[in-house]
Amino acid sequence: MNRVKVLQAWLWCVSLWSCWLSHAIPLDCKDETGSLIQCTSISQEKLLDRVIQHAELIYRVSEESCTLFEDMFVPYPLHALRNQGGTVCHTKPFPIPGSKTEIQQISDKWLLHSVLMLVQSWMEPLIYLQTTLNRYDDAPDALLNKTKWVSDKLLSLEQGVVVLIRKMLDEGILTPSVFEHTLTPYDEPSPEIPESVLRDYNLLICFKKDAHKMETFLKLLKCRQSNKLSCLSY
Amino acid sequence: MYLSVYVNNNIYKLRGPHFTGCRSREQETFRCWWSAGIFQNLTEPGALRVFYQTKNFLSEWQECPDYTRTVKNECYFNKTFTQIWTSYCIQLRSVRENITYDEACFTVENIVHPDPPIGLNWTLLNVSRSGLHFDVLVRWAPPPSADVQMGWMSLVYQVQYRVRNNSHWEMLDLESGTQQSIYGLHTDKEYEVRVRCKMSAFDNFGEFSDSIIVHVAQIPSKESTFPTTLVLIFGVIGVVILLVLLIFSQQQRLMVIFLPPIPAPKIKGIDPELLKNGKLDQLNSLLSSQDMYKPDFYHEDPWVEFIQLDLDDPAEKNESSDTQHLLGVSRSGSSHVLNFKSDDDSGRASCYDPEIPNPEDLASLLPGHSGRGDNHPLVSRSSSSIPDLGVQQTSEVEETPIQTQPAVPSWVNMDFYAQVSDFTPAGGVVLSPGQLNSCPEKKKEEENEKKIQFQLVSDGAYTSENTARQLSASVPPSPGPEQGYQTFPTQAVEGNLWNGEYLVSTSDSQTPYLLPEAPPAPILPPVSDYTVVQEVDAQHSLLLNPPSSQPAICPHSPNKHLPAMPTMPMGYLTPDLLGNLTP
Repeated sequence: MNRVKVLQAWLWCVSLWSCWLSHAIPLDCKDETGSLIQCTSISQEKLLDRVIQHAELIYRVSEESCTLFEDMFVPYPLHALRNQGGTVCHTKPFPIPGSKTEIQQISDKWLLHSVLMLVQSWMEPLIYLQTTLNRYDDAPDALLNKTKWVSDKLLSLEQGVVVLIRKMLDEGILTPSVFEHTLTPYDEPSPEIPESVLRDYNLLICFKKDAHKMETFLKLLKCRQSNKLSCLSY
Repeated sequence: MYLSVYVNNNIYKLRGPHFTGCRSREQETFRCWWSAGIFQNLTEPGALRVFYQTKNFLSEWQECPDYTRTVKNECYFNKTFTQIWTSYCIQLRSVRENITYDEACFTVENIVHPDPPIGLNWTLLNVSRSGLHFDVLVRWAPPPSADVQMGWMSLVYQVQYRVRNNSHWEMLDLESGTQQSIYGLHTDKEYEVRVRCKMSAFDNFGEFSDSIIVHVAQIPSKESTFPTTLVLIFGVIGVVILLVLLIFSQQQRLMVIFLPPIPAPKIKGIDPELLKNGKLDQLNSLLSSQDMYKPDFYHEDPWVEFIQLDLDDPAEKNESSDTQHLLGVSRSGSSHVLNFKSDDDSGRASCYDPEIPNPEDLASLLPGHSGRGDNHPLVSRSSSSIPDLGVQQTSEVEETPIQTQPAVPSWVNMDFYAQVSDFTPAGGVVLSPGQLNSCPEKKKEEENEKKIQFQLVSDGAYTSENTARQLSASVPPSPGPEQGYQTFPTQAVEGNLWNGEYLVSTSDSQTPYLLPEAPPAPILPPVSDYTVVQEVDAQHSLLLNPPSSQPAICPHSPNKHLPAMPTMPMGYLTPDLLGNLTP
């Protein structure tokens, strides 16, 4: 009888231990070369901070690129376009509210998904922008470098947001969303100003706006993580 | 709508109704203002209306939601009507006339001018050591209307400061935090500090905050400068003292370093003490033993070794050797010339070993060859290792036969040397007189020669006046003080010794040193104490100048000494006697 009990206890232990092992085994992490390395862990707060830093940087660089382009290629009377927030920006799958009250009412899930959607929507247009900027004769190197840099940072931002979604929302991204880009080249040539200039200028303005959106959403999320009361109520 | 009006040649641009501006303070509401312009009939309220449209939804034009009652010509959009990231277009219309006077499009975030920061204060960071400068830390709080905490607005700040009542403001860099340090402010000056903010990545600054006054009184710190000068002065004095002490303590070393001593001349192997004490014979032996010196001499003067005085054939030569001149040798075939060969020794060994002429020649030179004896210290040779002169060199004295010379050349009578017989107490030298019957060439001999102690400096070649003196030290004075000589018992030789060698003829009674045996001296012609060495025979003996029995042909002698000497007390020559003697 004792033997049976001992055996049962031992079996329980073994099963429990295996369960625990299955949860405790670290994930397989692979570095760039593909070899297995120990996964680096980071807290959720730190990850959110880093994501916010990325968004802030992207926003500032987008503003600088816009200014550079404007000074170089856009005649002065058309600078007012900037204040107008761009003539046409490509539409999003779902609208994003603009008022503070509405935004405050957005849930975390929607915030994160909105950010992710924004990031993914701009990946291709930025690559397109790089190619068009290279066609300009006297495009400043700073502008080209900034555009390239922003493209790279967007990728890492996307990765961060994906991880955040997985951690905060406990859901995985099943399929990366593919957006149909409504950015079509204008067919109306402007007599005085090349159409590409207007197009690119508009693109830069729209990108700056969307970068601001990303930053705002992420900061709101951060606020909610730290102190929910002060962020929601107003 | 613009109108250009000329008034007194000035163009005034007059404008119709237009928007004067739109602003948002916190990115949640915004306001717009307009003006009627020159159209005064439109100033009444309601004449002009504002319509807006949001481009997002392509909605229709809506009228201003709220015309502010308190403020004229202001349209206020509250939170519900404010959306960011949306383009707004507003129009100023006169409904009655259905004219749109002005239109503007914008997005709200581009018209945000934040409120000024609040709570500006400063704290002192530090004061410089001199008390002239100080640093402060300025702090503020973001405007309460801006929701920075939520992240709705990201603000950056700019601090400006100036000296009070100055017109120029110093601007610092943009700061995203809520504090900033100001460095390098002067004490005793009042500063004004203010701050303003704007949204990051946007260009619209808000209003400035209220200025604060920053002032730090200067602390009188005259004492701090005073000790520094004192310390400096003392430090310099201390360093100077140290240097002086160092110099004095290390004087020797410093002298060596700065003024290196000039090396004294030194010959390898030779002790400078030898030169000082006059040990010339030792030195000479050393020098002769040095092989290195001989070749040097050869190399310098290669012709020297080939010099050879051929005296056998004097007729050939027009010039004769110096020695011949000295000796007064006639050129007419006198064979009894000293044949000196300037050999390799260059005067050193030649002193030792002059070439001995033929015995026959020598025999012809000296008269009265009385035979030979082994005990004639004609020549005292010195070997290479000559001891000190103080030691009697009895053992080294050789005897050479002396051959008299039958014929006396005229030069024989010349006196080249005067024998020093004594030293006066005053330090004068007393010379002995010569022969009576001969030319005054001999000097009176000192009779108490043993009292005389010579300390002659000579090398090995010269033996010895001392030695020779000692030879005759114990010899009693020869008969006849005027003769003043001492003769050898077995010979009738007199003459001056060449090279200072002293030939003494001693009597029988007192010959303790050198003469082993001396047969009783026959009556000899008076032999002077010194004689001139005329020649050296084959056996290396000196042939001396014989005393002349004839009435001397008295050539002019450079040494005119006493022809005759009256009674000479003990061989001293007194000055009055000298006066008598001098011709």
